[in-house]
Amino acid sequence: MHIPDGYLSPSTCAVMYAGAAPFWLVALRRVQAMLHARYVPLLSLFSAFSFVVMMFNLPLPGGTTGHAVGMGVAAVVLGPWGAILAISLALAIQAVLFGDGGITAYGANCFNMAVVGSLTAWAVYRLISGRSALGSPRRAVAAALGGYLAINVSALCAAVEFGIQPRWFHDANGVPLYAPYPLAVAVPAMLIGHLTFAGLAEGILSGGVVRYLQRADPALLRTTAPENATDPLQPQPAGGWRTVRPLWIALAVLMIATPLGLLAAGTAWGEWGVEDFSNPEARQHIAAASAQVAPPDAVPSGLERLASLWTAPMPDYAPAFLKSRSLGYILSAMFGVGSILLAWLAAGWAARRLRGSHNRPPSATLV
Amino acid sequence: MKEWRLLYELRDLTYRYPEVTALDSVTLDIAPGERIAVLGANGSGKSTLLRVLAGLSFPNVGSVRFDGTELTEDTLAGETFAFAFRRQVALIFQNPDVQLFNPTVFDEVAFGPLQLRWPRGEIVERVQLALRQMEIEHLKNRAPHRLSGGEKKRVSLASVLVLDPDVLLLDEPTAALDPQSQSQMIDFLAENHGAKTIITATHDLPVVGDIADRCVVFDAGRVAADGRPDAILHDEALLLRAHLLYRHRHRHASGVVHSHPHLPGPHRHD
Amino acid sequence: MGRQTFAWFTQPPAVGDPRLSKAAGFLERNVVALAKTLDHAARADETARRRGLLQKLDPRAKCVGIFAWILAAAATSRLAVVGTIFALAVALAVLSAVPVRTSLGRVWTGVLVFTGSIALPALFLTPGAPVCRIPLLEWNVTAPGLLAATRLVGRAETTATLAALLVLTTPWTHLLKALRTLRVPKTAVVILGMTHRYLFLLLGLARDYFEARRSRQVGRLDNAQRRHAATATAGVLLGRSLALSDEVFMAMRARGFRGEVHLLQDARFRTRDGLALAAFVAVAALGLL
Ligand SMILES: Nc1ncnc2c1ncn2[C@@H]1O[C@H](COP(=O)(O)OP(=O)(O)OP(=O)(O)O)[C@@H](O)[C@H]1O
Ligand SMILES: [Mg+2]
Repeated sequence: MHIPDGYLSPSTCAVMYAGAAPFWLVALRRVQAMLHARYVPLLSLFSAFSFVVMMFNLPLPGGTTGHAVGMGVAAVVLGPWGAILAISLALAIQAVLFGDGGITAYGANCFNMAVVGSLTAWAVYRLISGRSALGSPRRAVAAALGGYLAINVSALCAAVEFGIQPRWFHDANGVPLYAPYPLAVAVPAMLIGHLTFAGLAEGILSGGVVRYLQRADPALLRTTAPENATDPLQPQPAGGWRTVRPLWIALAVLMIATPLGLLAAGTAWGEWGVEDFSNPEARQHIAAASAQVAPPDAVPSGLERLASLWTAPMPDYAPAFLKSRSLGYILSAMFGVGSILLAWLAAGWAARRLRGSHNRPPSATLV
Repeated sequence: MKEWRLLYELRDLTYRYPEVTALDSVTLDIAPGERIAVLGANGSGKSTLLRVLAGLSFPNVGSVRFDGTELTEDTLAGETFAFAFRRQVALIFQNPDVQLFNPTVFDEVAFGPLQLRWPRGEIVERVQLALRQMEIEHLKNRAPHRLSGGEKKRVSLASVLVLDPDVLLLDEPTAALDPQSQSQMIDFLAENHGAKTIITATHDLPVVGDIADRCVVFDAGRVAADGRPDAILHDEALLLRAHLLYRHRHRHASGVVHSHPHLPGPHRHD
Repeated sequence: MGRQTFAWFTQPPAVGDPRLSKAAGFLERNVVALAKTLDHAARADETARRRGLLQKLDPRAKCVGIFAWILAAAATSRLAVVGTIFALAVALAVLSAVPVRTSLGRVWTGVLVFTGSIALPALFLTPGAPVCRIPLLEWNVTAPGLLAATRLVGRAETTATLAALLVLTTPWTHLLKALRTLRVPKTAVVILGMTHRYLFLLLGLARDYFEARRSRQVGRLDNAQRRHAATATAGVLLGRSLALSDEVFMAMRARGFRGEVHLLQDARFRTRDGLALAAFVAVAALGLL
């Protein structure tokens, strides 16, 4: 997940720095405005905390362990803007002091993990936790899902950055200069690792820490909860967890299930899109790479079904340059969910504007 | 001759944390040049009192005045008073890790002067002086996390002495010090007799006689006693009530009263 | 100096009793990981204070110079240039008393394991003329595949070596000073300094929490309990970090901090720093010609 130097072309790196910079600026302004002078020690300590948590070995189901980035926890406790800064700082120390992640790729790493990751984690957390009580199990689930999805969306960003390298940056003979795999390889390869291990680690950490804070220090959850989220001390009406708009959960499940479904359909390491199987030239390439074992004439049926399921809605908003359907499909799904989240954010923002600003306790609200 | 006035006036001051009341209707006057030991068991409110005196925490009820000006968020928001106050009043925190937040010892000591926007040349000079005074010049370029507990205490002291404050608020200054550093610290406090107002929070009864002319005993956030050290240190009933002395329960020493396991009774340091 | 102060960091944690339960193994692994991180930072600081060529240079010249080399290694399309920069970096390491086999060797194996495993499939997957065939698997290594994989690994190794060289010859505080004068916002520099400072405190605390849990652990923890142990430790640490940040804020305020940071600037850029910087940039420019 931490992209080292040399994987991305310098121009990609420059673009990623440029992409992260406005978020840093806005985040710094908002955090300064909310916390006044307090933000200096708060960000420092939180970044140090994020760094330490990145070192933890988290036990995953099945006896393995994984590492989390901590953006889920950061987004839940600090809100998206504070999280962007805290994770960026932790990444800076990792890159410089420990060589974890490159220096030229720092902008890209920040964009993927600190910016996209924090915003995703926060949006999902807010979306699913809604107005539930601070002590409600729904919050822990929301944080876990937020962390899980955040790391996957970050991984997707990284995969796209990898995947465009061979297309745009190769020498006169077409040999890749940087990351050598096209989108159709990079995306599934990155996602399979993150949908399983890294995603789980992030989800477990975010959910577990929220669970812990609910018992030990619920005030820390107040910062990112809506003003009228009920206090944990006053028990929620019994139906609190069951009356949750099941829609949100369905949506979250969908987001997770879509890429999983694609992988299950046999394209986990699927280097080639559906149409490649019937294209004679591509078939030769595949044959060459698969040790002269000719690929099946027909498209694997699972892949075919899925693709046709998604061909209808996809071309409308799938970017034209993405030739591979499997990729276009993942991207469109993410894009669709992203736009829903965005619309939801905009609505929430508008609602807050209408209601006017509230006086909140001084240490609260970075949102 | 300067008109005599009180340095601090605390009136019915109450400070509450969400779950506990740390200071409970405290009324206290402090005159310039006094050396006061604030005594009390763990959790009796000593640190909270010092934070209030340092203008870092503000009472929920009652008031605290410094040199006639009430200390509130508002009065300390204005630049003129805040600068004068921060220069005059220095607090050394109980936990040195809180106090030392800069990358190097030099930066640490220079932090206060920089915030008060002193000229650069003067800052460097004063920092050197403070480092020499505390005998920590050799630590100048060290990072705080590579210092021993006693060294951290010295750096803390240097970092506030560089401002040449009139009021020193010390939270457990002798804790975690070896006997030699402890006696150096006590000498330092004794030397500054008269020049500075020194308010020390401690539960180390044996050193009280050397560092204070007045004792204020806290018990559960309230002032339990206020008087001369010799009077207070001999009032066994009071000290027992304030949990500053304890009576051994087990048979070897039944009936024996101790302030410290190995340092029976108040003793003078010479 | 560094060694002494850090002796307790670098001491190998009590080696696992083979009878220890699996759960203790997990807690111990965390203790070891945290101790290793502390150890790594301590060691970097120790080499950074040795007497050597790069240690003598102004950190700004070093930062800009090494960054120029990283850029050159990343931007060039010629493997020879990457190789030359790599060789120069190793030569500089030797002249700067950086232990090549231990410190850089660790970097190299790390990159080789990570990037190597990523680059491996490219050998077979990149379309092109086959150069050889893996006997049992009957897979073809293609020429472009070989080139692409070599490029990726070569670049990753070279840039990682350069980054390590910077850290191994520059104490963190000097790096911060360099950033101050390189127009990185003052606030960012102050926060980075403070982050680094409290990193050690929190790493030590986290290690102690795991250690404490381990010492009280008698029975076997199942997987869920282990997860709970890890996340609860993270939670405790989080609470402690935020409480510390409040106290640190008070300590800053007590000394006049009002939100704006002020730093001492000491800019003493000597001729030899200028010359070194010029040399760095010239090599980078040559590589890109
Ligand atoms: N940040 C805080 N939040 C909540 N309660 C606090 C906080 N700090 C202190 N308290 C509580 O306030 C009371 C007084 O604490 P204080 O730190 O002033 O005691 P103290 O006399 O300095 O104790 P010690 O000798 O242990 O340093 C204690 O009951 C403590 O638990
Ligand atoms: Mg105290």
